[in-house]
Amino acid sequence: MIRFKVNGTVRETDAPPMARLLDVLRVPLGLTGTKEGCGEGECGACSVMLDGVPVNSCLVAVGQCEGREVVTVEGLAHGAELTPLQRAFIEDGGAQCGICTPGMLVAAEALLRRNTSPTDDDVRDAIAGNLCRCTGYQRIVDSIQAAAAAVRAKTSKASKASKAGGETGA
Amino acid sequence: MSAHAPAGLARTEMVCPKTIAEACAVLAQAHRDKRAASLLAGGTDVIVDRHLMPIEKARPLDLVVDLTGVDELTAISERDVAGERHLVFGGGVTYWQLRTDRRVLAAIPMLDAMAKDVGAVQIQTRGTLAGNIATASPAADGVPALMALDGVVKLVSEGGARTVPLDQFFLAYRKTVLAAGELIAEIDVRVPLPGARVTWRKVGTRLAQAISKVALAGVIEEERGTITRARFGVASVAAVTHPLGGVRALAEGKTFKALDRATVDAAIDLEIKPIDDVRSTGAYRLHVAKALVWRALAP
Amino acid sequence: MTSRVDRTVGKNVSRVDGHAKVTGQAVYVDDLTTPGALFGGTVRSAVARGTLRGIRKDPSFDWTGITVVTAADIPGDNVVALIEDDQPLLAKDAIRHVYEPVALVACDDPVRLQQAIAAITLDVEPLPPVLSIEDAEAKKQIIYGKDNVQKRYVIEHELGGKTIDELILACDVVVTGRYAVHHQEQMYIEPQGMVAHWQEAGEGAEAGVGDGVHVTGSLQCPFYVHKAMKRAFALEGDRVHIGQAVTGGGFGGKEEYPSILAAHAALLSKVAGKPVRMIYGRKEDIEATTKRHPARIEITTGCTKAGELVALKVECAMDGGAYVTLTPVVLSRGILHAAGAYKWKHARIHGWAVATNTPPNGAFRGFGAPQTIWAIERHMDRIAEKLGKDPLTLRQQNLLAIGAVTVTGQTLTQSVGVVECIEKAVKSSDYFAKRAAYAKPSPAAGSRTRTRRGIGAAVFMHGAGFTGSGERRLKGKVQVDLEPGGRLRVRSASTDIGQGTETIFRQIAADAAELPFDTIEIETPNTSNVPDSGPTVASRTVMVVGSIVGKGAKMIADRVRASGTGDFATLADALLAREKKVSTLVEYEPPVAVQWNDDTYRGDAYPCYAWACDIAEVEVDLDTFETKVIGFWAAQDIGKAIHPIMCAGQVEGGTLQAIGWALYENLVMKDGHILNARMTNYVIPTSKDAPPFTTFLVEHPFSGGPSGAKGVGELPMDGGAPAIAAAVEQAIGALCNDLPLLPEDLFRAKSKSQVARS
Ligand SMILES: Cc1cc2nc3c(=O)[nH]c(=O)nc-3n(C[C@H](O)[C@H](O)[C@H](O)COP(=O)(O)OP(=O)(O)OC[C@H]3O[C@@H](n4cnc5c(N)ncnc54)[C@H](O)[C@@H]3O)c2cc1C
Ligand code: FES
Ligand code: FES
Repeated sequence: MIRFKVNGTVRETDAPPMARLLDVLRVPLGLTGTKEGCGEGECGACSVMLDGVPVNSCLVAVGQCEGREVVTVEGLAHGAELTPLQRAFIEDGGAQCGICTPGMLVAAEALLRRNTSPTDDDVRDAIAGNLCRCTGYQRIVDSIQAAAAAVRAKTSKASKASKAGGETGA
Repeated sequence: MSAHAPAGLARTEMVCPKTIAEACAVLAQAHRDKRAASLLAGGTDVIVDRHLMPIEKARPLDLVVDLTGVDELTAISERDVAGERHLVFGGGVTYWQLRTDRRVLAAIPMLDAMAKDVGAVQIQTRGTLAGNIATASPAADGVPALMALDGVVKLVSEGGARTVPLDQFFLAYRKTVLAAGELIAEIDVRVPLPGARVTWRKVGTRLAQAISKVALAGVIEEERGTITRARFGVASVAAVTHPLGGVRALAEGKTFKALDRATVDAAIDLEIKPIDDVRSTGAYRLHVAKALVWRALAP
Repeated sequence: MTSRVDRTVGKNVSRVDGHAKVTGQAVYVDDLTTPGALFGGTVRSAVARGTLRGIRKDPSFDWTGITVVTAADIPGDNVVALIEDDQPLLAKDAIRHVYEPVALVACDDPVRLQQAIAAITLDVEPLPPVLSIEDAEAKKQIIYGKDNVQKRYVIEHELGGKTIDELILACDVVVTGRYAVHHQEQMYIEPQGMVAHWQEAGEGAEAGVGDGVHVTGSLQCPFYVHKAMKRAFALEGDRVHIGQAVTGGGFGGKEEYPSILAAHAALLSKVAGKPVRMIYGRKEDIEATTKRHPARIEITTGCTKAGELVALKVECAMDGGAYVTLTPVVLSRGILHAAGAYKWKHARIHGWAVATNTPPNGAFRGFGAPQTIWAIERHMDRIAEKLGKDPLTLRQQNLLAIGAVTVTGQTLTQSVGVVECIEKAVKSSDYFAKRAAYAKPSPAAGSRTRTRRGIGAAVFMHGAGFTGSGERRLKGKVQVDLEPGGRLRVRSASTDIGQGTETIFRQIAADAAELPFDTIEIETPNTSNVPDSGPTVASRTVMVVGSIVGKGAKMIADRVRASGTGDFATLADALLAREKKVSTLVEYEPPVAVQWNDDTYRGDAYPCYAWACDIAEVEVDLDTFETKVIGFWAAQDIGKAIHPIMCAGQVEGGTLQAIGWALYENLVMKDGHILNARMTNYVIPTSKDAPPFTTFLVEHPFSGGPSGAKGVGELPMDGGAPAIAAAVEQAIGALCNDLPLLPEDLFRAKSKSQVARS
């Protein structure tokens, strides 16, 4: 039995340890948001976060996940509230056919967690492992930048608010 | 699920050791028991191979030794060897670590450049230096970079340890000196002297997620105009990553001005005979290898 | 006119399928849960041409629980019904390409399935294969008809009793060129897949599903599949139910091939008595499904010294592959675009497609036009060179315009925005200044970074909608139903494959009905509950189907409003209570002015054209010949951008496919085998390879489209490659007449031109 956390909940699987994380997520765990486009690490449609870093779930053996934490596209939103990235992908043309979208969002989320002011080159580097055949990438880059701006606006508001709070408290 | 899965999946056992010693013991035991065992690190070579292998050729594995839980293998440390600064990477160091480790960024930016050129982020977070070396693909990117940095690998087994310079590690196409029961514990590289000319240039099929058609790493040091050190590693031009020893011999001890393109090209002609494959042509590879070496050496 | 609600056309409303796609809830074919389903797989020939003598099952293999079917199990006709009946669903005797399906296997375990496939051997007597256009034309082996020609078309324009050669020779300046283009793989990120469930009479009653065969999958054209299935299974149409799962890209690749996959899955399901999933892995998808047609195009032209184009001769050969599939239509569109966006006094365009023993080529975004536009655009640059003119100036001098006549004799009467496209792209890219600057030898660059830049332009048009009388024959239909609460449900067979049909139809319907956007529902296409609005191809969805969506929505809304006074929802409910069903079926009527003669190939080839100017700026490494596209400007006249962000997404995505075709993608074939059927080796651009795009949507409305919209789907595929080639030529000075322009090709071209010069 392999135990690991998926989207915040501990899950167990009796899959063989060399089964691909992708297959375990999709079939027994029913998390079909993670997609398979190639099965060889090229397309990134299967991207998930493993202990906070983006990986291709088609290249991870589920046995390697024992005790670790996986976040899939289904685990990005906070309940019903979409993340800034998810909202931006809907509004700014980041998703067309949508098959690359789950992986893109995971890769972009990982970027924004380490850098909320990325350059376009940073964005392109962060999603270079996620092939998209629909968009030409421009709208995806724009969506990620829009989300980054939203995150920055929120944190600066929050820090202003907390500063203000601090002042009143003083 | 697409209708493909490696055969014998269910019978493969996985062990997850926490130390190098434990991993070596498991390997040795498997060897004694005549069980087919394999090391697994980031899986970016192993799992792809297993998945794409035609079913009739697939060789069932009895045991997989997962190294991703061995903390010793992910360490990056520094040491002094005969007055020179060296960095030592655990075999499990990933490309992503190279891209984010302050010491590496400051001491050997070339490794950052190389790591940035490997696959893409999802590959960089998983792929390891030892995996790159052990796979022994002539198209590997990590290997030429480490080779140009005078990389030396430390191989550890239950019985002990030995060190092998990287340019003597590869025997033939995908054949290495690595013996059953051994694993790559460390890779030691020499930090180039300040002011050294350090080159990394990958020519791949595209700018990310690309297999090298040619990649060149070079470290060139000089003292008052004379080249004191000219080390290279070049990918995808021979059956194994090539150190271009002939060019090294030609350049070391000479001034930059004393080198000319024709002589350097002739030295390269003697060393490599790149081939045609689905990604490129031999003629193109030879041309590019020469041009890149010349860019590294040109006055 | 004041509207009752805010108009949505022209606004970037939120994508209706966006939420499901960003949360992972959208259900693609591989995500369907199908309890008890078997996995299906295919046994393929592995020989390019031969005669099938037998199919052997390894007796030492345990066959229990494994279903194997062959051609003999097909209840109806063993053909993939489309245009010609030449392609079998499963080969019976003749093998015509390496990936020809011969038998199908189903099993409940994917590993055993692979083993079973490996345990079947085919006894094939090989015959010498025909592997290229030249092989086919040599006619040493006849593999199709009497001369290997699958289809031939000729367009003749104002020859006045002379031959085109005579007319050309009478001109001041004669230029001849030969241009070639290669295969292209669609490489949608979601491989093809189908889930089929065969239900005998009575069986399906419980779940509310009719008996017969149910297939759901990744597809563009449910009624193509429907038609093919009826033939293959000898079934009445009402027993064949074809539904679309959310589809992860198509680009033409999911136009004709899904008919084969659906029939395969259904056949296995029928014989095995269980649902069957057939989801291709990437390798099988690349090997077996259709590709863009390679072509060889020879052009000879005559013009005046001042640069006025006079006479055009085009000889265009396309490689159709092993079966006809949609080749005649691709060829037709190809030759109809071969004259480019220019005026010619005289023209003769001759196109033919030949059969080869390679996987069948078929639909791919652009549908033949990218091939011929490549040729004519490269040729325009050759003429400009000969005349010593700027290539864009030469184009501007000869553009088609309102009142001008095309080579099929069509007088353009409206919606020609090409001049504005050129202006916008030129201004924003600073084309002329850069072109002049890059023409000068660059200052001696340092030895470490040896790069040179170039800039190039392409001007082009793309016919919107079906060719000629296609729409008149097809009679596409849309149904709009009134539903409780004053909601409208639009039923059409037009699929959303990422381009946003669902959102755009809602916008069109909402505006036409003057109802809020979210009161419109779009039915997910299933042949059992939508009428046949025609295939989702040819950039026809918005212009043609969209126009009747609007019409139907307005008709229903008008009826509701005419039924009394009060708010819409109340009136609607009252009307529904009285009439039970309030619905309308609208059929497309092509504008009467559009007339076409299929026999002479004269007349109005398309109701209108979309126009564009693409400008590419590149930097080429003079040692490695890697080309980096550093800027791309696309100005495209699409009539009306119903949803500007989605339109721009179409333009940029299509353009990047064109850039991929030019600079990265190359299908390597040997003896009919594809050697690089993997994403690792068939290389499409990543985000790092893609240039930043500057996109302009130009709007010269077409009276026949909703709010003036024309097609946008295919146009962007046409101009990228020639614009890149022009830029690369300027940067390195090697002739780029053949695709692809991989570094190896440029290196070879450059070495050759150096040899030639010395
Ligand atoms: C999409 C994609 C893109 C890629 N791009 C690049 C690229 O640009 N450049 C490049 O060089 N490579 C690339 N690779 C290949 C691969 O990522 C690298 O070679 C990587 O370094 C392998 O490391 P790993 O940890 O994933 O190896 P694994 O797959 O885990 O193992 C590879 C081999 O090494 C052995 N091994 C692992 N660790 C040890 C050890 N400590 N001691 C001894 N043997 C060991 C394993 O037994 C196995 O034989 C790419 C791969 C993919 C899938
Ligand atoms: S399916 Fe994992 S990278 Fe493509
Ligand atoms: S949106 Fe279709 S592949 Fe990216």
